[in-house]
Amino acid sequence: MALAAATVVLVPLLVMARTVFVEGSADLGDILSSPGLGTAVRNTFLLALAVTVLSLPLGTALALALRRPDLPARALWRVAILAPVLVPDFVLGYSWLRAYGRAGFTDDLFGLHWAGVQGPLGVTVVLVVNAVPLVYLITAVGLAARSEPAMERAARASGAGALSVLRTITLPLLRPATATAAVLVFVLTLGTFAIPQVMGSPAGFTTITTRIYSNLARSSDPLAFVEAVTLALLLVVIAVIVVAPADALLGPRLRVTRAATTDPTAAAGTRSSARWAATGIGLYSLLAVGWPLLALVATAVTKAVGLPPSPANWTLDNFSTILTARTGDALGRSIILAAAAASVLVVLGGLVAALERNRGGRSVATLVTLTLVLPGSTLALGMLIAYGRWIGGTLAIILLCYIAKLWAVAHRPISGALDRLPPDELHAARVSGASPLTAIRTVVLRPLAPALLAAWLVCFLTALHEVTMSSLLYGPGSETLAVVVLNSAELGQVGATSALSVVITMVLLAPALAVWFVIRWLNRDRVDLARSIPAPEPVHAS
Amino acid sequence: MPADTLEVRGLSVAYGSVTALSDVHLSVAPGEVLALLGPSGSGKSTLLHTVAGFHPPQAGEVWLNGRCVSSARRSEPPERRELAMVFQNYALWPHLSALDTVAYPARRRGESRAQAREQALMMLDRLNIGHLSDRHPAELSGGEQQRVGLARALARRASLYLFDEPTAHLDTHVRGVFLEELVTRQRDTGAAAVYAAHDAEETLGLADRLALLAAGHVIQVGTPEQVYGEPVDELAARLTGPASVLTTPDGPGELLVRPEWASLGGNRSARIRDVWFRGPHSDYLLDTAQGRLLVREPGPPAHQRGEDVSWGLRRSWPLRARDPARAQTPSSVAVPE
Repeated sequence: MALAAATVVLVPLLVMARTVFVEGSADLGDILSSPGLGTAVRNTFLLALAVTVLSLPLGTALALALRRPDLPARALWRVAILAPVLVPDFVLGYSWLRAYGRAGFTDDLFGLHWAGVQGPLGVTVVLVVNAVPLVYLITAVGLAARSEPAMERAARASGAGALSVLRTITLPLLRPATATAAVLVFVLTLGTFAIPQVMGSPAGFTTITTRIYSNLARSSDPLAFVEAVTLALLLVVIAVIVVAPADALLGPRLRVTRAATTDPTAAAGTRSSARWAATGIGLYSLLAVGWPLLALVATAVTKAVGLPPSPANWTLDNFSTILTARTGDALGRSIILAAAAASVLVVLGGLVAALERNRGGRSVATLVTLTLVLPGSTLALGMLIAYGRWIGGTLAIILLCYIAKLWAVAHRPISGALDRLPPDELHAARVSGASPLTAIRTVVLRPLAPALLAAWLVCFLTALHEVTMSSLLYGPGSETLAVVVLNSAELGQVGATSALSVVITMVLLAPALAVWFVIRWLNRDRVDLARSIPAPEPVHAS
Repeated sequence: MPADTLEVRGLSVAYGSVTALSDVHLSVAPGEVLALLGPSGSGKSTLLHTVAGFHPPQAGEVWLNGRCVSSARRSEPPERRELAMVFQNYALWPHLSALDTVAYPARRRGESRAQAREQALMMLDRLNIGHLSDRHPAELSGGEQQRVGLARALARRASLYLFDEPTAHLDTHVRGVFLEELVTRQRDTGAAAVYAAHDAEETLGLADRLALLAAGHVIQVGTPEQVYGEPVDELAARLTGPASVLTTPDGPGELLVRPEWASLGGNRSARIRDVWFRGPHSDYLLDTAQGRLLVREPGPPAHQRGEDVSWGLRRSWPLRARDPARAQTPSSVAVPE
């Protein structure tokens, strides 16, 4: 297991460092002072900072609002806020361009457009929209695990008003979750590629990741390659500089998320504030996700750019143009690749989670967690240098990258579910005569099934969305659908790109919904258990 | 002489650097019920879990029916030990119905599903919960869940039953009924049992013998009457019920007095510090010249707080000099709740 972890994480990093210091040492000064590099580094850092600062309050506010039992249409809003997770990030970015950009949907309908959507401001806003579900999820779990309603009720009974409770009790209890979310959002934004590429590059806005991508496109220039590797290592350095102190401060909290056992319902507020909250959430969902996706669909079914999306201009031509053998092959490859990666990852994640319970396995788990902060571009370049000679340009190298990148993603839910499993349930099986393997098969695997499936689904979706690594690594015959969409967007094929975006989102939706329903069905025992505990009466503010 | 069902020889268990049990010796004869009584954290659960085979011991041995199953070198896995266990938090599997839960041990013995279920249904019927056979744990009350846990243990047909505070999470009124059921069923099987608890009243009535555990040591073993009447020290006395400690004017030692060993009316005088009506009897806490004394009298209170009364002793038990290592027990009179 340790060997596998080293193969996919340590070796690529080491060979990259060697490339920079051995092959590029003479030119390192030139590389670091090359025009535009400083701008790209500054842009990347400021972007990560801005997205973190903006998405934290938004995600936290949503988590707090959605915790209220009296919120109208609570279940619907929960789905609406998490919806961007199902939409690949480059599709989200592209849909914003279609919705708010020049000659976009809003422009066609009302003659209004926002020129800044293509450029740093648009990139920031869409990255915030993309990060909000993550902040929401982490905060909601933190709320459920840490701030029980009883603590807030105790504060109310001690004379604190609703706002004081928020300030003095709820938010301080949430601090570990907030810090975790901040670190994750910052690091993920550092390594993000698709949205800056789709929305920023046309306006001349560069980040480290987009510069690596364009450097590799100039493959004839050896200096450009060394610069790309240098930039990739620089990303890791920035990530480590930010994560290391946070990790030291928060200690094991970043790694261990406690089981959410308490019912996350909060004290209700006044009815009018609930209505305001619902209106706010609705407006946000509509503007950030609903309207852009509608614009995307409208563009996909409209004959030409600039025509109003009325039934007279509707057509399926865009879909028939993209229904080529190349697209079909790419789609098939994407699905096989994602399914293979997800299946391998669930096995590996499960193994590390099980090993972690022994002392020896813990270092592997730590190494695996480190891959979370390893930007995709860095990983892809490392793999390319380390193994490109044998498997470069094939699906195998992309699969290897996915395994390295998503190992932690698969490991966490499985490890969390193992933590939640009462040890006595296993003891009871053993003392009833079950051997260790039988006990695992009969009483562990079944309660663990939802977590295993969830891990599979998350890995499958992420692998299917992924362009950062595949766009650097694909070769003839190993294009994924996401790469096809990205290339189409770069060529400016508006109708075709929209149609492709709709297709890839649909492809994601079907397995996601199927697996989600299976998980719900599997979870019914535990869900019933949660429901059987009578919900406490909400406290009404006077 | 047949071998003891369970014999624990010099058992020591540690979690990392924390010692949970040190040099524990115990034996349980066939058909005997041994109660383990001790405050939480005294090592009761650890002892049961080591006997069941969930923890390897650092030193010592566990023998079951004349066979060594645990030693520092070798530990038989739990499924190959002839014992069954009822857990404090029920430990029912959320995905299995009551029927399949109780059928589980038979399935592991290799019986067919139909056969195992048939036996399980009979077992559930015997415990009067046959009508709940297709319910999952989430749909059962605490008492019902623990009955299923008991049925599962009985279905194991073991020669030794381990009960790890099985009533700890049950409501008071369910507790008595369940306990009665448990003892009856377990006695029916003729098997031996180790019953861990922290409630003295519960264990005194059901056990053949009592073992008192404190901080990982066995401090006393004996029949309930012995341990209650002649505790080795004050801690043992407090673990087994309400007690007062009086200083003796004519000697250096201390006297243990159970509330029913003293009575109102006699040749000594005291003032009543407090009175509690307890239903069948009333408790009086007296300020005497030798210290505070708890006296239990039948019926409702006949005196009020602050009244001067006379009292006498029917019986007392001289306490050994207090062990300074266990001086953490409060020196004032523990008032029963």
